[in-house]
This record gives sequence, structure tokens and C-alpha cells, in this order.
Amino acid sequence: MKKISFTLNGEERHLELEPWRSLLDALRNEAGLTGTKKGCDVGDCGACTVLVDGKPLNSCLMLGVEADGREVVTIEGIEHPLQEKFAQLGGAQCGFCTPGMIVMAKALLDENPNPTEDEIRFGIAGNICRCTGYTRIVEAIEAAAKEMKK
Amino acid sequence: MSDFSVIGESRLRPDMPGKVSGRAQYAGDLSLPGMLHAKTKRSNVAHARIKRIDATRALAYEGVKAVLTHHDVPRVLHYGSPHPRSASVTKDQYILDSKVRYWGESVAVVAAVSEEIAEEALDLIEVEYETLPALLTVDEAFSSSVRIHELRNDNLVVDPVTVRRGDVEKGFKEADLIVEGTYAMGRPTPAYMEPNVCVSQWSEDRLTMWISTQTPFMVRGILAEVLGLPLTKVRVLVDHMGGGFGAKQDLFQTEFLCALLAKKARRPVRMEFTRKETFLGGRSRHPGTVWLKQGFRKDGTISARQARVTFNSGAYGSHAPGVTAVGTTALTSLYRCDNVLLEGRAVYTNTPIAGAYRGYGVVQTYYALDIQMDEAAEKLGMDPAALKLKNAVREGDLSPSGHPIVGHGLEDCIKRGMEETSWPVTRKSGHGVVRRGRGMGCEMHGSSAYPGIKEQGNATVRMNDDGTAQLFTGTTGLGTGAHTALAQVVAEELGLRFEDVSVVHGDTDVVPWDIGAFASHTTYMGGRAAQMAAAEVKKQLLSIAAEALEASHQDLEIRQGVVRVKGSDRQISVRDAVSPKLGLPTPQLIASATYKPTKSYSFAAHFVEVQVDTETGQIDVLQVVPVHEVGRVIHPVAAAGQIEGGIQQGIGHTLTEDYVIDLQTGRSLNAGFVDYKMPLSLDMPPIRTILLETAPDPGGPFGAKGVGEDPIIAIGPAIANAVYDAIGLRFRHYPITPEDVVSGLRQKRKV
Repeated sequence: MKKISFTLNGEERHLELEPWRSLLDALRNEAGLTGTKKGCDVGDCGACTVLVDGKPLNSCLMLGVEADGREVVTIEGIEHPLQEKFAQLGGAQCGFCTPGMIVMAKALLDENPNPTEDEIRFGIAGNICRCTGYTRIVEAIEAAAKEMKK
Repeated sequence: MSDFSVIGESRLRPDMPGKVSGRAQYAGDLSLPGMLHAKTKRSNVAHARIKRIDATRALAYEGVKAVLTHHDVPRVLHYGSPHPRSASVTKDQYILDSKVRYWGESVAVVAAVSEEIAEEALDLIEVEYETLPALLTVDEAFSSSVRIHELRNDNLVVDPVTVRRGDVEKGFKEADLIVEGTYAMGRPTPAYMEPNVCVSQWSEDRLTMWISTQTPFMVRGILAEVLGLPLTKVRVLVDHMGGGFGAKQDLFQTEFLCALLAKKARRPVRMEFTRKETFLGGRSRHPGTVWLKQGFRKDGTISARQARVTFNSGAYGSHAPGVTAVGTTALTSLYRCDNVLLEGRAVYTNTPIAGAYRGYGVVQTYYALDIQMDEAAEKLGMDPAALKLKNAVREGDLSPSGHPIVGHGLEDCIKRGMEETSWPVTRKSGHGVVRRGRGMGCEMHGSSAYPGIKEQGNATVRMNDDGTAQLFTGTTGLGTGAHTALAQVVAEELGLRFEDVSVVHGDTDVVPWDIGAFASHTTYMGGRAAQMAAAEVKKQLLSIAAEALEASHQDLEIRQGVVRVKGSDRQISVRDAVSPKLGLPTPQLIASATYKPTKSYSFAAHFVEVQVDTETGQIDVLQVVPVHEVGRVIHPVAAAGQIEGGIQQGIGHTLTEDYVIDLQTGRSLNAGFVDYKMPLSLDMPPIRTILLETAPDPGGPFGAKGVGEDPIIAIGPAIANAVYDAIGLRFRHYPITPEDVVSGLRQKRKV
């Protein structure tokens, strides 16, 4: 077991992890934050997207121990106009891809507050949604970007 | 009819705040003290007897708490999908068998203190197989003397379905043109984002199961039956679930195994599929072929239609009887024809199991029908949309289920789509490298599974003494927003504000029995039951209010939570009417209703534009205009969301999605999201959804009909027809791959 200290959604956290444990499993099982979803566990679907030092990544592909000393933000740590827009405009259905999708969209808007539709589609290309056809996800991200300019 | 106050408005879905914040609880999010983790050992042969299976070493492995093989589980033959005693499903599965019938079938399970230990222990289970000839194709299954199941003396799942209307021979004699072809379909899978998962816990002799399923009461029923328990001893819980698309109405054996492991280990057990296992142990759509022959008169009317539908069910029957019957019978309709002869067969093979998946057999048969209509149109010198419009079923025609069709939904969809897309366009024939084409396809689909299953929707509505109401429903929330629609129905019927109605669901100990969320029937059937129960509570409420207002209850109306005497200013709020008076509680206002639906049909026409790169073979869908007639629209955003998501899956199976089985070994070749190609955000075109409400059906609440399955049906042939329009190649199969396009064009150039 290895001890790590890191910032999780703005709070200092200490965990003891097996060295092979993925960050995703560490978050869900050790830190008790189940908002981040496991859709494939091999980096294909994006449901487990979290921010590490502000950058989006698949938490199933990172070891938990690698989070030592870093800043991790999960869906539980996000308060953003994206959430309201996803909820209102049909950007979520079953909701399983939604946490990863919103985290990815936040990363996108942090970097590019005025994305075009193509940039949005490119930004979420690694996040699989099986319910919506993506149209309303794109619209929700566009609406959130607009909201933030107000 | 615009005086609805809640129906037709896209109210904020109550499930949304939890889903966008990570707080929504899915079955896999549960963690119980002392919980073990279970893993499945899967066969690496496609067809074999298990000569010997020895779990001694696995059981001795540190951290392992229980192991089950076929020696340790009750040998009870059970249904693959627990629709009680219906003709739609087969009874051909054991919890674990001494035989394996496909590559990847479960042969043993292990529960251990961690997933890693369980996984490692799987390798310590020794299995010796006596291999049998593997029948990996339908042709092999037909010609071989080997039997996949001992229950039958052939490899058919059930006896063939035959549907006859009129005189097909006479019809072909009257034809001026005969068009005939065989159409072939691949093996798409639903690929829901949430892998199958369940958690079992026993307290004394009582089992509680948290599970991602569309059919919690069916799971409860079959667990009780197979484990020999009364229904009071099995409680099934499902709150949010991450999609199902039909497939999660099956049993995956995990339900039994998880419960039995928990019993043996005396600890809670969690069992979750890996993504790979959702392919291996999941359910696909039925691969198959449709041979179709139609006779046309010069004016475009159809004089005869004959078809032979053959579906590959894989190793078990699952929904094959239902899918075969529904898919085959669908060919009686969509386009009018008095003389019809149809045969449907479902065949066992040693391949993964096909089950229920959105569209339920109709995806395959209407793919054939709607492409053939375009072939006929060309030969008749007619526009394909005009030919389909001419033959579209209309009010009073006999539907596949035998009911007269209500309204002119299909005609309305075709006409509106033609208007919206300025169809037909005169086009310069394309000669460039990248060519564009347009196509259209149609569909109709029933809400509810009648007559295959005699269904029933149940609901209880209770009014609280602050004037709010609660709907108790057994329906499941797959993510469609159906529970929101049910709340809207109750609010509208009772005259309450939407915010004052909540929905209680997801606990088989609490809510009324429900058959499950499938067959595009939750809003239609569950909604109608909810409306009926609400109407009964409204009666009770009005009689209390009538007394308070000293008026006759016939003169009262309720809107926005206020009861008024019509045409006067006398009023009382619902809250005041039902709140305790002088400390005395008012009588409990509560009512239950049962609704037994027959069936109603929704309609759609999809218009698409594609772009085909003649050098790479790449097909891109540029635009989709789906026009859907779904009766009264309750929640426009949710309804459109169903349509757009269905189109996404339909574009997938038409162009890229195919779960491939190696024809030498039966081994699956692409059980993962890298190799099983689904449309992503960059692949999806803009979709301009148009909802029509021109043929509301009295069978649903306020005239609403189903919408869940419809959109996945028409998109496929629309794309295939557009590809023909673009490059002049007629593909009679899906998926239509870049290789098909390139080799087809090469062939064409040779000719």
C-alpha cells in the first residue's frame, strides 16, 4: 500500500492505495465518489473523465498513486452552467456518460470559451453517448458558453 | 386542445439534477459492508460438453469466499427472458450447464474479497472439454445432424411462423412487375453505457437485489421461482440505470449466480460485467436474412408480397420467438397489400445470444421492404417517396397486430418530409470523387407487445394532505424520461402543478407490479394506467371540494392546484380541500388502476442526405430529417431525444456496427469499443426532428403513443437508398462498409 495526499474537489485528501489501483477505482471505492462512471475501464468511452491539474483525462488509465500531490476535480466538484443546460435541453438521458461529458465540456470551455460547433464535436469526440445522438449535447454546451458571457 | 397546462411542455426532468451532478445512484454505485466481488469464467470453445470441472485450487486461493460450477447450482430449466409464460421467449437455459453452446459462455463464478483476486482465481479453475462440432452459421445449423439443444429434434428455436392474408399466387399472376431479392443483416449490439451489474444481499432467508434491469418484477419472479422462494422473500431495487435499449429485459445468469454466491458466502456480493463481457455475455440484435418478393401493378399498387425471414438466435432462444413473430408479421403492413404469405424462422447456432433490442425484428424486415420499394420505384419509373405514399397504410387498414389503424400517420409523415426537404430534387448525375445522394425510408411500430404478450399497466395515485400527489409505478427509468411523462400525465389529470407530483418507483416491495420497460409502452400503457388512477383520485377530491364549495361536483374544474366552480369566483385550493380540518385528518385519497392495452401504431418517414467518397468508400450521413407521428406529445425534448438517439444507433448498424464472430472458432473478434465502431460526436449529422400529432390514439394517455423504438427502423433503408442515389450501387445488406463501396464500384466499372 502506498500513501498519497492530493487535492480532491478543493479538499486535501489522504488515501492508502495499492500501487496498481486505477485513479477511477480509487475515486469510486476509496474516496467514495461514485459520480465518475466506469463504462469500459480501458480508456475507450470517456465516462470516467476527470480533471487532473485542470486537464481532462480518463481516470481509468491513470494510477491512483500518480495523483499524489496533484489536484483532481470530479463531477461532484463542478458547479457550472453546463449542468443546468444539459438538464434542460436534453443533453442527458440515461445519465451514465453525463458526468464525464460535463467534465470534458468544462475543460473545453475553460480552454476555449467560444467554441464553434465543430470544435465542440471534436472536444467531446472521446466521450461516447449512446442515448442522445449528440445534437442536444452540442446545443447544451453552446448554450452554456453563451450563458457564461452574460 | 391547447388548453393543457402540463402536457406538451418540456418540464425539467426530476432525474436530471442528480444526473448532471454525479449524485444519481446507479446499481453499481452501491457499496455494502463486507461486500465481495464476483467474476465469471467463460468458455474458450464454442460447443462442448464439460467432461470435468474442478474448482478446488480456486477455492483454496487466499481471499476467495465462494465458487460455483454447474455441480453447485440448482438445475432448473428457465426462460432466457422472464416474461411470464408468454410466447415471445424460450425456456432453454440453466443457471450453469454441463454443456457450453457458445464461445464466452459462463462455466463458473468466483466471489472474493477483491475483483483482482476473483479474476486470478478464475485461472485456477480446471475445465476439460469434450468438444462438439460448432455450428457457427445458419446454413450449418440447418444442414448438420448435430443438435445444439436436446429439447428439439432440429436446430430451430420454435416452429416457423406463417402469416397468410389473401391469395399470394393470384396476386403474383396479377402483377405487371415482380421484384425479388435477399437482404442480409449483421450483428449490432445495444452497447448501453452502463455495463450489467447487480448486488445481492441476504438477510436471514430474504434476498435483496440491486440491479440494472428493465424488468425488476420479472427478475423478482424468476429468482423466486428458480430459488424456490415466495415473492415476499425477494426484493428487487432499481433506481437510475445507464441504458438498456431492450437487451436488459433478459436474464444474464448473473442474477442467479450473484444471489447464490451471496448465499454461499453469507456476505453481500457485487457482480459487474466488464465492457468485454457486455459483448460476450450480452445480447445482440438478430443477424439474419430476408428473402422478399413483391408483385406490382403498372400504377404502383402492390398485388402480392412473399417473404422468408431467417433469424440467427445464437446459442439460446431468448426473445427469438417474439422477434421472429413481430418482425415477420410487420411485413403484412407499412405498404398496403392484400395478398401476403410470410414465413419466419429462428435458428440456434453456436454464437453469442441475440435478444431483444430496440426495433425487435422490424429493423431487419423493414430494411428489406423499404429498399425493395426503391428498387420497384426505379423499375416502375416512379419517385420512391411517391410510390411509398401511394401504398402507405391508412385509417382502417388492418395493422400487423390485427387492429384497424387509427389516422393517416404514415401519409402525414411522408408528405411533411417531402415538403421539408423539397423532395424530389432534380439532380445532375454525379461523376466526381465525392458524390451526394438522397434517400428516404418509412416505418411503423406498435406501442405495447400485444398480441405477443397480454400486457397490463398498473398505477396507484395517492394524494397527500398538503395537496401534493404521488404516483406509485412499477415502470423502470432507463433514461428515456418516461417517469417525467407519467408525472405530467398525473398532474394534468388532477389539475395539479407539475412540481406537486412525484413518482415513486424502483422497489418491488412498494410499487404495483409492472411487466417492465420495453415495447415502446411505458408512457403509453403505464401512462394510461396513471391517468386512470389519477382520474379516480380526482373524483374523490371533487366530492370533498363540492361539499366545501356547496356546489355540484359536475360544476367544478381543477387547474394549477385550485378547484373552481365553473363560471363563478368561488374556489378553494386543493391543499385547503384536503388538509386536516379541526385537527381531524381528511380521508386518504388514493386509487389504483389497471390498464390492459391492445396496441396503437406510431409512424415515421426519415429523409437523409449522404456523401460517398468513391475512392475511400467512406459514407457520411450529412443530414437527417426524421418526421414522426407519435400522437399527443407529452414532453417534446424527451420525445425528440428518443428519436435522435435511435437514429444514432441506426446509423451505427447501417454503416459501421457489427459484432463479428470468427467462423472457424466461434470466438468474438471485436468485443470492445475500439473495434466495435459506434457513431461518435464527429460522425453524427445534424438531425432536424419534426413531431406530428395528427393521429392521436385513444389507447394512450391524452392520445400519446410510443416513440422509443420507432426511430431506429426507418433510418437504415433511408441511408441505403441514399447511397444508391449517390453512386448507383444497390446494397442489400448492413453494415454497408467502405470495403463494400470500393469493391462494388470496382465491379461496376468492370461491367
